Amino acid sequence: MVIGHLRRAYSSFAAHVFDIPPRFMAFLFLMILLLVPATGLGPYYLSIVIYANVMAILAASWDLLVGRTGQISLGHAIFFGIGGYGSALLFKYYGLSIWVTIPIAVLIGSLAALLLGFPCLRVKGPYLALVTMAFPLIISSTVSWGPLVDIFGGELGIRGLPGFFPFLPILQQRAAEYYFTLVLLFASSVLMYKTANSKTGIVFMSILDDELASKACGINVTRYKLLSFMISGLFGALAGCVQANLLKVANPPMFDISISFLPIIVTFLGGIGTIYGPIVGAYIYAILDRYVLTDLLPRLLRDNFQVMSLPSWYNFAKLLVFTLIVLILVIKWPRGVSRFTTDKLEDLEEARDLDERGPRIWKTYKKKKSSTPT
Amino acid sequence: MHLLEVDNLTKSFGGLTAIKNVSFHVDEGEMVGIIGPNGAGKTTLFNLLSGFLEPDSGNVTFKGENINGLAPYRIVNKGIARTFQVVRPFRHLPVIANVMVALKSPRGARKIEWIKTMERKAAEILEDVGLSELMLEPAGNVGHGDLKRLEIAKALATEPDLLMLDEPFGGLNPLETDYLTKSLMRMHLDEPSRGVLIVEHKLYALMKMVERVIVLHMGEKIAEGKPEEIAKNEKVIEVYMGKAT
Repeated sequence: MVIGHLRRAYSSFAAHVFDIPPRFMAFLFLMILLLVPATGLGPYYLSIVIYANVMAILAASWDLLVGRTGQISLGHAIFFGIGGYGSALLFKYYGLSIWVTIPIAVLIGSLAALLLGFPCLRVKGPYLALVTMAFPLIISSTVSWGPLVDIFGGELGIRGLPGFFPFLPILQQRAAEYYFTLVLLFASSVLMYKTANSKTGIVFMSILDDELASKACGINVTRYKLLSFMISGLFGALAGCVQANLLKVANPPMFDISISFLPIIVTFLGGIGTIYGPIVGAYIYAILDRYVLTDLLPRLLRDNFQVMSLPSWYNFAKLLVFTLIVLILVIKWPRGVSRFTTDKLEDLEEARDLDERGPRIWKTYKKKKSSTPT
Repeated sequence: MHLLEVDNLTKSFGGLTAIKNVSFHVDEGEMVGIIGPNGAGKTTLFNLLSGFLEPDSGNVTFKGENINGLAPYRIVNKGIARTFQVVRPFRHLPVIANVMVALKSPRGARKIEWIKTMERKAAEILEDVGLSELMLEPAGNVGHGDLKRLEIAKALATEPDLLMLDEPFGGLNPLETDYLTKSLMRMHLDEPSRGVLIVEHKLYALMKMVERVIVLHMGEKIAEGKPEEIAKNEKVIEVYMGKAT
């Protein structure tokens, strides 16, 4: 009885304290992120968060295409790579400033998405997934092809990009890059979220739910699918050219299959079809992959077990561990971490509603009791 | 000129001829029923008219324009809206957003003015079919009877000149059937120039509503006429009941 009472007290407390509207939560999240460089993190740790920011843009763009429109793409690296190479080539041949190459590269990515969309949208479901998977492979082997080495730089790619803030000292450079990517992430995720919840977004969702019924409503399905491809390609290319300029190189691994699968893992971690889910997922992924498994665990092993050099299979083991974690998450929380949290919050809200109703029922009960003559 | 004219329509799947030389017409403001036993080709006929299937031969003319082989969404934007026999809601979307998808089509967007927003228009349509209470509920949580009405709301949102209903009463209980019959009749009175084509198995409900009935059997039209005539037609009785011995 005491435990039950305590539990009720806790749930009432939680319901009143954790009652935060989602917009405020997003604001809070942003505020925390804005303070990250002020904690005096080293450049390596900052680069992890920068990486998370960029991957969040890529994953959110994938989520808009797959989670909201239902067009399964297993080749999102193509937009990533096109953005990177577009920006790098514009710098290499025209010497344009980074602030000019990024918008142009983003538009190129969007145009490429439109061109790819035409053949891709003739097929559906798993076939679409296979077709989209093939494109990055084709482009990747084209850019690393021998005869084109003068243009694309072969396997080494295009090096010597200027970076974002070359005039700052190295430590401040990282912080500046961090703020820049954070602003980009915030702006692009707000744009994508607004698009996904606009009237056009409703049509995207209808295509995901039932393409045939959507046609029967008079919707030109092909046009909306292409639109979705273009928006997704635009933000994918944005992520790509930011990444290329951060690393100061655009190389064939940007078209790698691991880049294609990364948004999938991240989105499933965070919650598919939410747009904000992949952002949460990207942070979890980046911290897990780049911090816990690359930095923390080796350090712990070295300090406590005197394991000085890690075995060569460690990288594969890392991948395996990560796969297992994702697998467990997908089985345990198939709707993703972010939606699990929002569900919990909704439960709490319900509990609070019950709590409010409680006294009222109690009052009526009391009233009834007093009114009935004994 | 008839609103819809179907001329010698034929469609076969492999060796099976689903629709064989069917011709009929629908006039403006007319309510026409199509009946027939299972496998008579009623749904195939609907799919041919709405562009989901392409006919082997024959012509479909709508408002004097040949609409053979047009894409489904183009046909909807010309003014033919259809519902499906098996409900096809957008399950992740709220009921009102289901209607807004249809309002986003060029034909549905035609009547939306600056003052009358899409949301208000959708709400009005939902009120017409009696779904305003479920407006914000995701369509996946809504019961079958309400989804049937949602199908009609989606079709009405494109402001069709010809409304094609594929078994609107399928799976409804008598009370719901009655309610839907009444609201369909009311809609018909509100929009007197709209033609309506109904495929239905519940003959009792259908015969009260329509002005003309077309009977299909094995892909062929075997009778056409007023409901009272059809009810007495020996060929129709034979198709439904079997031959009297």
